Amino acid sequence: MPPRIHSQPLLNCVEQTCLGRPSWQAAASQQCSQFSTTASRELNREQRRMWQWLRSEGRQYRNPKPGGGPNYLAGSTNKPFRHNETFRSQPVLSEEARNKIWSAVMEQGLPLKAVSAKYSVDMRRVAAVVRMKEIERSMQASGQPLARPYAKAVLNMLPQTHLVEGEPEHEPINEIHIHSYTMQQLFLPTPESRKFTRADAAKAFGDHILPAEKRIPLPELVGLEKDLVEGLSREEANRRFMHAAAASEQAIADREARKAREEEENKKRVDSARFEFRFENINAEAVGPNGRSRKGVGWRYGVPFHDRKRAEVKIPTKVE
Amino acid sequence: MKYRRIERFHGLKRPRIRQTWNKYNLYNLQRARMPRIIQKTFFQQKWIAKALTRGYHGEHIKERQWERMFSRRLLSVVNMDPKYMARHDGSEQAAGRGSGLELPLQGRQRAEQGVRPVEVARNGGQRATKTPTPYMQMTYAPMERRLDVAVFRALFASSARQARQFVVHGAVKVNGKKMVYPGYLLNPGDLFQVNIERVMTATGRKKETGKKKMAAAKAASAGGEPAEAEEAEAKAAAEGGEEAAETTREPADEVDEETAKANEAAALKKLLSRAKFIVSSPNQDLSVKRKQAIRALIKDVKTAMARASSKKNSSLQKTGNVVDDLTTLLSQLELSPAEAKEKAEEAEAVAAKEKDEGLPTEEERALLKKAIEEELENPSDPTKPYATPWRPRPYMAPFAFIPRYLEVNQNICAAVYLRHPVARQGQAEVPTPFSPELSQLAFNWYLRRG
Repeated sequence: MPPRIHSQPLLNCVEQTCLGRPSWQAAASQQCSQFSTTASRELNREQRRMWQWLRSEGRQYRNPKPGGGPNYLAGSTNKPFRHNETFRSQPVLSEEARNKIWSAVMEQGLPLKAVSAKYSVDMRRVAAVVRMKEIERSMQASGQPLARPYAKAVLNMLPQTHLVEGEPEHEPINEIHIHSYTMQQLFLPTPESRKFTRADAAKAFGDHILPAEKRIPLPELVGLEKDLVEGLSREEANRRFMHAAAASEQAIADREARKAREEEENKKRVDSARFEFRFENINAEAVGPNGRSRKGVGWRYGVPFHDRKRAEVKIPTKVE
Repeated sequence: MKYRRIERFHGLKRPRIRQTWNKYNLYNLQRARMPRIIQKTFFQQKWIAKALTRGYHGEHIKERQWERMFSRRLLSVVNMDPKYMARHDGSEQAAGRGSGLELPLQGRQRAEQGVRPVEVARNGGQRATKTPTPYMQMTYAPMERRLDVAVFRALFASSARQARQFVVHGAVKVNGKKMVYPGYLLNPGDLFQVNIERVMTATGRKKETGKKKMAAAKAASAGGEPAEAEEAEAKAAAEGGEEAAETTREPADEVDEETAKANEAAALKKLLSRAKFIVSSPNQDLSVKRKQAIRALIKDVKTAMARASSKKNSSLQKTGNVVDDLTTLLSQLELSPAEAKEKAEEAEAVAAKEKDEGLPTEEERALLKKAIEEELENPSDPTKPYATPWRPRPYMAPFAFIPRYLEVNQNICAAVYLRHPVARQGQAEVPTPFSPELSQLAFNWYLRRG
């Protein structure tokens, strides 16, 4: 593009632009003006307003708070969005809290459920913390650099839980999903004398709906409370709880191991010089009564088979 | 590509809130108002709501693609109290005519409120709160499952588009395997890890280049601050000291130990003054002075250590760790083997002597150690693509939050997608800047009914 010459005198123009601009921009435009005949564009009203806000009220958001802690709009401590009261920036686990969880699981050897109940941290979160801490330790051991400055800065901007005495609990740990079957109102006539419990209610919603006792992630906690109600000492109840937690974890581990073993038994491995061929037994009945089940293997007459089609997007659905 | 256009992305005239940490976006976010939709038809209301919300939630995704992802099933959870469950089997809620018994009239207030035993047990006699579960804020929950959006939510990228680029460019691993599809839908339990360098570049300050750098240097040299003058003096003194040390080192055999020790003490003093300056200046303000000071400190530490190792000191063995080496060095300077016996005898007198000699005290040593550790952890390295030492980019703090469905380990730039986002009473986990009314209209748009 040829250089555009502004109708206004150049100096006048530079002066004008300097008024509504941050100092570095003004400095830059002055430097430019010695070499370029193109006048820099004036700021419009909206731009002027924005810069004005950034220099006055918005200044506090430029850098993280000196003392640490969240720095959200309008001075809110946990609501980053003004119009959305329902979304809150909830505390994250601090570095020490993660170390505590890791040490409880890996050094003291407590069951995940026990750690979850002890610190009031979701079981899945406990597992995730330990998993990532292990990666971190292996990276450290192999001398790979960590993002320490980044971690420090980000944690400094977030509300944190340190898992110490007197702190509000990190998160609820006994949550259950609201099943879509239970979202509708159901009128079930029963005699007033009948003891209609949670289990009965579950059955009323559907045969396969489990009662809340069986759906909560930590049913062992209910057992603990029941023991306490029955008058057992705190130590004895705790001992029973730990035993139950460890047993349930062991049961899950056994189930997984059995599943893996069965899968392996179903497979036949043939090792040639270059490849390992794996043959699996396939059940032809898996196609279902109408032959269109998704579990069926291979091409079937009349069923679309997209595997080899052109321009077919094949994003994996899981990574193991 | 047409659908990924970014013209007027952060427009000021027709502002849209975006998934970025841009300062324009911050300005637009703080001045955003609920659109005036009272006068509009229902269709227009839905259209406006859809346009606004889609401008934030995955604007880089084709509309058709999102329509396929949309789900009318909104997930919610309820917390069960084990204490309550242990004491009640649920029949108390169905007692009487099917909705729990009313308490016998005890207190006047209680009678007025009509509190049921269920509520007494759960809320300590208070009426159950009637806060609704904001289901409508979960409209865009399926979007949060996408890998690129999750990378942005974990604060590893400064915008969703940048996160998408990270994925496409192969900087993101899922469960240890490279994943190049930003549209990969994370499953609960998936661990994703982003290249640390990319994260540091995306979230760090920009490197100063060209004109700005020159201007900053010019400003620094022009401004005659006392601190700077001191610094210059200290530097000159340090250079002088080094020269002096070099001159003394050549006839090393002749010079008596006293002089050598005095030199070392002087060098250490300078080191300490540098360290103090570095530690005292605020982190945010990385001035040219501070940079110079850091460089000089490293240089001095190196020379001091070289000197110490050249000394016939069999006990000092280099560990390779600068901090450890330095602390060993300091302790040895304080206590040479000959002096050690003396000091063991009269500890109190020595403390006074130390002070007279100008040797570093315990606190000063700690200070020095801290300065060096800081520098080692966050070094100034001109080869990096971001400004070093690393600092967060401007205007990051107002956007910094991590939703609960992610667990993030910032040290390794990895996160685990724990579960799908859910709604609770009074709380929705999908981070959206829009009001429930607007989200409801958008939800209605995608329902395609009426």
